[in-house]
Amino acid sequence: MSVQWVRVSTVAERWDRVRVLALAPDAPSQRAAHSLASGRSWLLTGAAEPGVLWGECRGSAATPYRTVVDLAGPAYRCSCPSRKFPCKHALALLLLWADGSVEDDAGEPPDWAAPRGVRGARGARGGGQPPRDREVSGGSPPRASTVREARVATGLAELDRWLCDQVRQGLAASQQAGYGHWDDIAARMIDAQAPGLAERLRALASVPHSGAGWDGRLLEEYALLRLLAVAYLRRVELPPPLRETVRSRIGFSLRQADVLAGGEPVRDHWRVLGRRDLEQDRIRARRTWLQGRKTGRLALVLSFAPVGQVLDDTLGVGTDADADLVFYPGAVPLRAIVQARHDALDGGPPSGDTIAGLLASFAAALAGDPWLDSWPAVLDVTPARSPVPAVSDAAGHALPLHPGAGDCWPLFAISGGRPVTVAGEWTPRGLWPLTAWDEGGRAVPL
Amino acid sequence: MSTWQDLVTASLIGTERTAVPPVTVCGVSILADAPADPAALLLDRAALLTVARRGGRLAEHAEPLPVAEPDPEPTVNRAAGHRLARLLSGEHPDLLTEWLSAAADRGLRAPAPLLPALLDRARRVSPTDPELRRLAAEAGGSRARWLAGLNSDWKFVTAFTLTGDDAWRLGDAGQRRGYLAALRARDPDAARELIAASWDAAGPERVMFLSVLADGLSPADEPLLEAALDDRAAEVRSRAAHLLARLPGSAFRQRMAGRGLGCLRLARGISGTRLVASPPTECDAAMRRDGITSGPGTGRSQLADQAHLLLEVIARTPLDTWTGAFGRSAEQILTVPAGGWAPVLFTGWSRAAMAQRDQEWMAALISWAIAGGMPGHPSGAETLYKLVRRVDPALGAPGTTASDLAVLLPAVRDAITVLRFRYDMLKELDDDNSAG
Repeated sequence: MSVQWVRVSTVAERWDRVRVLALAPDAPSQRAAHSLASGRSWLLTGAAEPGVLWGECRGSAATPYRTVVDLAGPAYRCSCPSRKFPCKHALALLLLWADGSVEDDAGEPPDWAAPRGVRGARGARGGGQPPRDREVSGGSPPRASTVREARVATGLAELDRWLCDQVRQGLAASQQAGYGHWDDIAARMIDAQAPGLAERLRALASVPHSGAGWDGRLLEEYALLRLLAVAYLRRVELPPPLRETVRSRIGFSLRQADVLAGGEPVRDHWRVLGRRDLEQDRIRARRTWLQGRKTGRLALVLSFAPVGQVLDDTLGVGTDADADLVFYPGAVPLRAIVQARHDALDGGPPSGDTIAGLLASFAAALAGDPWLDSWPAVLDVTPARSPVPAVSDAAGHALPLHPGAGDCWPLFAISGGRPVTVAGEWTPRGLWPLTAWDEGGRAVPL
Repeated sequence: MSTWQDLVTASLIGTERTAVPPVTVCGVSILADAPADPAALLLDRAALLTVARRGGRLAEHAEPLPVAEPDPEPTVNRAAGHRLARLLSGEHPDLLTEWLSAAADRGLRAPAPLLPALLDRARRVSPTDPELRRLAAEAGGSRARWLAGLNSDWKFVTAFTLTGDDAWRLGDAGQRRGYLAALRARDPDAARELIAASWDAAGPERVMFLSVLADGLSPADEPLLEAALDDRAAEVRSRAAHLLARLPGSAFRQRMAGRGLGCLRLARGISGTRLVASPPTECDAAMRRDGITSGPGTGRSQLADQAHLLLEVIARTPLDTWTGAFGRSAEQILTVPAGGWAPVLFTGWSRAAMAQRDQEWMAALISWAIAGGMPGHPSGAETLYKLVRRVDPALGAPGTTASDLAVLLPAVRDAITVLRFRYDMLKELDDDNSAG
């Protein structure tokens, strides 16, 4: 008996498991995919030019699920009823392929796996369209921009009336209101070409169900939205950096090329403090927080990808990047673009600030941008649990952890009751820890 | 801040029905161009106060936690830590126990950031895997005990620190097993005496007793095991039989060798050498006592009954019976054609190799299956699945490259993947014990 030992892959460069797992929408999907990634679950699998994988997987239904992955997108299609995207079957098929367990050149794909079918299905599944950058509008010709300014102004006047109506009638009614209540006004902000406001409004739907203090949090948000509307309507009176901040919060965006052309690059050894991935409207966003070793400047690099596609992974947590950053204009310039990378360096742990220092720097930033609601924090602290999960510094000052960050047990496990350096996002609801440095000085993403 | 709460209350009621409370912020003069609409006025005052409150936020106080005791044992190296993370994220979950016991054997600790996931996994442990909690507690060391003090879900960790006789007298099944296994490692005779003294009063725990005896097996254990062949529980009888088959010079081995050789012989004919099987026709009382069962029986063909009896005999026959009688190595025996009995022999030898912990046979069986000998029967795949989880992967890991897997049978492909995973896993743990 002889087996054909060596076969050259002609389909596409194989991905590794890490890359496949990065596509998973959540940890349960990863687990489910692992358990399906064995030959026992699959009746057939195959791969062919141009980068198409297909397979039939035994499921709970009588007929097997048919799964197709187009590596070029990547795009996915599966006959399973899962709402997750990509589903566990697509992930498992990719894992098998990553392990070399899918036969390349498996001949013509079956009809149902024709490449065209995948792309068609992608649209049908509700838009795997890459957003490219959500920066779309910015550089329109002058006339178009004047039209937009007028439209936004009309929309903001409408938003202001809506906000005042809420407060006139009383926020108590909001707890009975469904998501539609906020979706309606959000949709009108989309029509008014103010997508930043629409996003903020849609996020409010969950506030009435966010536990004690929801009323205060909703009032804060409404108040800051009216502040934004009024600020825009009086934009000519504002200093230019603040005007930029207002415009960007409303959803006017600058093209990267314009940012690069308009700003001075700042070269530094940027320490990658931590990152947080968020998903909204089938778009994945990655917020990566940086701090310059020499300048001490803080920076935020955003990257986007459609759900089911890989986010930029070039800024690894715990490393340093010798790079030129160009900052977006604004009252508190934080968001930046990496213009050029010179070198990747090993990063040691950053030196942590005190809690008093963090609160002072956040207060100073708020004075420039009152809408700022997440600010990078690097602290030398000891985690605590009582009266609420919190971090406490050597001076005995403490700040709560963000309730949405979960129980943060890995942070506690690393600390063992001793001080650790923690990086995270400071928000009005508490600290969202992102990275901790262990005894060996290694960064551990939380 | 009461003015903020007043504003919130007013906003809940609505400015239609209530007045807008006044607001003062230190250092900020009253808004000059206040809007006439009370709702807008309330929102403006709320905005002012929101930013003032966020900017002027004061630190709070938190109760410090106790400090974890330092752990004298080193932590596993980075690669092994990544491997554990993979196991915990769902990759080969059935190999987690092996990782943990291999780490424990080497006196190594799991990385602290992974302990919460490990303890959660051990908490949800199934009764079929009683070792997991004990192993997780051991791999977690003092940090896991510290965490267990903070989260009552993980209380089982501190339970394992019951020491000495307490673990035996007061502990649960896992703790009692841990105590007994440690005693067996330290003083095999004392462990056997404890088992013998506890035997009659013990219920289902007798199965656990035998699993402990499996380590450090010696001829001194024979009387106890021979007596267990008359036990009321089939599981106990079967395990005792498998242990006796491992025991050099035991009476059981001689009985089984005789039966085995009566069932299978090497025949040299004009068409070459082949294996000729003559399965027993019935299961007599002596065979039943030695753990052989006649199977479900009813409604099955005579051939199926014969195959079952042959399997039962082969699975209990000492493997060196064959190498001795045939004058060939395991590998050579496997290449001898056996006709339609080959699947039965594969399964029987595999069970024997696993029960007798015969690495050479396991490796030979796996190589034979991977090279294409494995019967297409589903039981063949099931047997291979078990073999690759028991074999010493240093003997069984073939050096195949990644791209050849695709052309193999799925069961073979999975087997190779598991072997490689286990090989890398154990190698990593040996690589560097000094990582801190």
